[in-house]
Amino acid sequence: MSTIVALSTPPGRSAVAVIRLSGSDSLNLLAPLVNETAQDLSVRRPTLKTIYDPGTAEVIDRALVTFMRAPNSFTGEDLIEISCHGSPIVVRRIIDSLLDRGARLAGPGEFTLRALSNAKLDLSQAEAIRDLIDAQTDAAARQAVRQLNGELSLNLQSIKSGLVDAIVRLESALEFVEDDLPAVQSEELATRLKRVASQLVDLAATYNAGHWVRDGIKVTIAGRPNVGKSSVFNSLLRRDRAIVTSIPGTTRDTLSETVNISGLPVSLTDTAGIRATPDAVESFGIDRAHRAIADADLVMFVIDGTVELDDEDRRLLSQVRDSRYLVVVNKCDLPDFKADREKLERLDSECISISALRGDGLDKLGQAIVDQVAGSHEVNEGFLVTDARHFDLLNKSSEQVQAALKLIESRASEELILVGLHNALALVGSITGETTSEDILSEIFSTFCIGK
Amino acid sequence: MTFDEFFEVIVIGAGHAGCEAASAAARLGAKTALVTINLDLIAQMSCNPAIGGIAKGHLVREIDALGGIMGRVIDRTGIQFRLLNRSRGPAVQSPRAQADRALYRREMRRLLEGTPNLHLRQGVVVDVLVKNGAVTGVELQDSRRIAARAVIVATGTFLNGLVHTGRRTYSAGRAGEPASIELAEALRRHGFPVMRLKTGTPPRLDGRTIDWSRFEPQPPDERPVPFSFSTDRIEQQQLACYIGYTNKEVHRSIGEHITESPLYSGKIKGVGPRYCPSIEDKIVKFADKDRHQLFLEPEGYETNEVYLNGFSTSLPAELQQELVRMIPGLEESQIIRPGYAIEYDAVDPRELRPSLETSRIRGLFHAGQINGTTGYEEAACQGLVAGVNAGLFAQEKGTFRLSRKESYIGVLIDDLITQGVDEPYRIFTSRAENRLALRYDNADQRLSGYGRELGLVGDNDWERFNSRRDRLIELRKVLETTRIKRADAAYAGLAALISGDLGDSITLAQLARRPGVGNEIVRSMLPTSVRSIASEEDLTSTLADSLYEGYIQAQQSTLARVNQHDDARIPAELDFRRLSGLSHEMMERLERARPETFGQARRVPGLTPAALATLLVHIRAHRQAA
Repeated sequence: MSTIVALSTPPGRSAVAVIRLSGSDSLNLLAPLVNETAQDLSVRRPTLKTIYDPGTAEVIDRALVTFMRAPNSFTGEDLIEISCHGSPIVVRRIIDSLLDRGARLAGPGEFTLRALSNAKLDLSQAEAIRDLIDAQTDAAARQAVRQLNGELSLNLQSIKSGLVDAIVRLESALEFVEDDLPAVQSEELATRLKRVASQLVDLAATYNAGHWVRDGIKVTIAGRPNVGKSSVFNSLLRRDRAIVTSIPGTTRDTLSETVNISGLPVSLTDTAGIRATPDAVESFGIDRAHRAIADADLVMFVIDGTVELDDEDRRLLSQVRDSRYLVVVNKCDLPDFKADREKLERLDSECISISALRGDGLDKLGQAIVDQVAGSHEVNEGFLVTDARHFDLLNKSSEQVQAALKLIESRASEELILVGLHNALALVGSITGETTSEDILSEIFSTFCIGK
Repeated sequence: MTFDEFFEVIVIGAGHAGCEAASAAARLGAKTALVTINLDLIAQMSCNPAIGGIAKGHLVREIDALGGIMGRVIDRTGIQFRLLNRSRGPAVQSPRAQADRALYRREMRRLLEGTPNLHLRQGVVVDVLVKNGAVTGVELQDSRRIAARAVIVATGTFLNGLVHTGRRTYSAGRAGEPASIELAEALRRHGFPVMRLKTGTPPRLDGRTIDWSRFEPQPPDERPVPFSFSTDRIEQQQLACYIGYTNKEVHRSIGEHITESPLYSGKIKGVGPRYCPSIEDKIVKFADKDRHQLFLEPEGYETNEVYLNGFSTSLPAELQQELVRMIPGLEESQIIRPGYAIEYDAVDPRELRPSLETSRIRGLFHAGQINGTTGYEEAACQGLVAGVNAGLFAQEKGTFRLSRKESYIGVLIDDLITQGVDEPYRIFTSRAENRLALRYDNADQRLSGYGRELGLVGDNDWERFNSRRDRLIELRKVLETTRIKRADAAYAGLAALISGDLGDSITLAQLARRPGVGNEIVRSMLPTSVRSIASEEDLTSTLADSLYEGYIQAQQSTLARVNQHDDARIPAELDFRRLSGLSHEMMERLERARPETFGQARRVPGLTPAALATLLVHIRAHRQAA
């Protein structure tokens, strides 16, 4: 197999750049660049080396070279990391020299692909690496690491073995009818399968929180003009991003920024205050606000706590009721703040009193946002399914188990029950790796004494 | 090189694979020679005297639908027919029959001798003659040379056969018959990768020395279901088999003498089948079981020999006698032939093309146990496919292959050539992804068209097939259009019978899918004109189609989702050795299996999901580049 090379750190100027070289020929390829034998290079300790251009014997750089011998490396192959100075020129010259000697430039993701092929990772773990690199918050990174450490695979293992166990029982009853096998007890089988089904449902349910952790959540701040939307926006961002004045209708266009709230990546959108206006520019902005409300995962409906709710508020409220929303009562620092509890409770939703100006109640607001989307799942504790593909496969798989359970109840013949169970296993299997009919037969032969 | 005789096809070995192969090739119009060591032992059942069983019965039905002969022969010589899994759905039911061993041989030979273009020859083949990478004929021990354009090797357990009983071993193809040593050497010389496999048989008892009253009779079916679509009914008298059990005393004694078994003394190197374990294996591996089931199977009408199924052993003969006598009812029993284990050569079937032609030598085909399978039915279906393809090859008419989706035969051959074997391969229904569609009762609907096209299905059978097909179409239409309405006289009675609501109206097809509705209820609701012409089998087939339809669709959509890339063709020019990201081991596995589609690659054993992901990435990249 060819030996591949690529720059592993972002391109551009930096203190250090890391070049990775992976494949059975790594040592031989690097040796002439450092004027050493492959033998001498093969110590597993970072060593400072002078890097030469093997063509001209000119010094290119001094770099820290670390060798990792197969299979104890990320790719499972001989792997060398060259930490050189972060100069695009140095990086190019080192890589070019390696290419000249027979290395091949790695394609995108090729190092991970090799790790996959060498069973250093399973499919869900490889996906976790992508998620880890793309993570926007601590919680997202934490979940990716958990998946990388095989937590998803482990969760699925127990589901798979539950399915295989049921399949083995039913298949042997069908296949070895002349053998003296214990009869399949439908009730016991159903109990086991219900457990599998609830494991699937529980795991899938974590996606409710998990997908927000990975993909982030879109929060739109909406309300009448001059209730303090932009102040709320700025205070959540902890900087003066939006222009705030006392003039109603200051915010014309929508404005979006991403902020980390308790580990959730939140894309916050400030919008123009909604009112009837003859101003053409302002009404364009209001159109955009409506669109942002429709697009939002969560609408933060801001009202002014110092004034009574008016018709405009109520109209807007009835509009956001279709979405997931929170009521934020602003300006609690002012003396005439009268968060009229009774009235607000009639809004039939959670109300958070804050002062965007002083920062009062912001922590509570943050928590309320997290609670709204993540529900009962702790985003910082417990394993979460974060990938839409996994969620979909888990759901489909649980539907199949449910179908099998119905058939068991109606005393259907085994081959029909097995359709759902095999489907369920195949679906779960496509997350981490498949269970073959040969695996099932092996399980049968080790469980039962088969054969006349 | 000079030859004594000229043929188009030569078949080596007249066992279950060889007989089907020779019959098919001859009926395709190829002048065919069937060469066997002993003409009096054609179609010998070396092991248990039975044909069929779950999945195996499916194979026999498929052989029959294609125009093969096994089904006809067993229908005329079977002494106990039973349809297995009657209480389950039709997809997993399968016919099985005990045979009269001697009658089966005689009937098969009669059929072969009546086949035009087919010539029997007795002799021991010692070499396969090859010129420029193509087969030219065979050489016999008596130095006769026979020329042929195609040769099928169907040698069963004879290649380098080595029989074990206790500490004694001797070279044999079966007990009492010589092994094929020189041919085995010849195949090795031609470069075929050879492995050692093992199988075994139990002792045969003298029926007069058995106290039958101590065993539980297992009666034949009242209405025997034949194997062949051409058989109307089974005429011959039906016999019972008997069921008994081993006991702790037997187990203890085997345990004490376990080192006398060549299986446990390390003498046997070959790999045996896990689903057909010896009694030694059963006792060692399932030590917690205090009894194992035994079947006493008569070997025929005019013999006292009884086959002690479940007691396969290679322990010393005198110990076998002692052990058998520890079983209640067998205290006085006398062994006629002791059980034994046999090791033999098999050739890695990954050498084969889907036509069962070897990729190493043009015109050379392998069929049956040489490919690592076990079982008469597994052998016969390979014989049929090899015979057809050898006939086609000799006449330069292309190849014939069956897919996994349409047949168990397709599943078996695909498994063999893509996965190879590491133990003797037996068919199971769970090996077929498409199990619900591959039923024993619809084998004709699936495959008879091919048989007719090849010229293997005669005019009478083709007419039978067509009229059955027409009946099935008519029946299906009637089942889907006949409605029972609330106002109908029969409605209330039906609703009460199945204790459920039938809605305002229900079709017969829908009614049949309700739990508790048997064929007889549906039959009683059929219009008289249809009822009088539709047979029980017709109704079973039609109702099964309707029962499974929804499940098949659900399964296919799931499989399509999971295996959406199965049909992706692997470009012929793709060099597995140059795929970046594949380890050496994965490359070797792919190289050996040479899968043509991603689906085939997915079934290559030992390929990690990761390697498959890698392969898929490359197939896609290749397609984009093209």
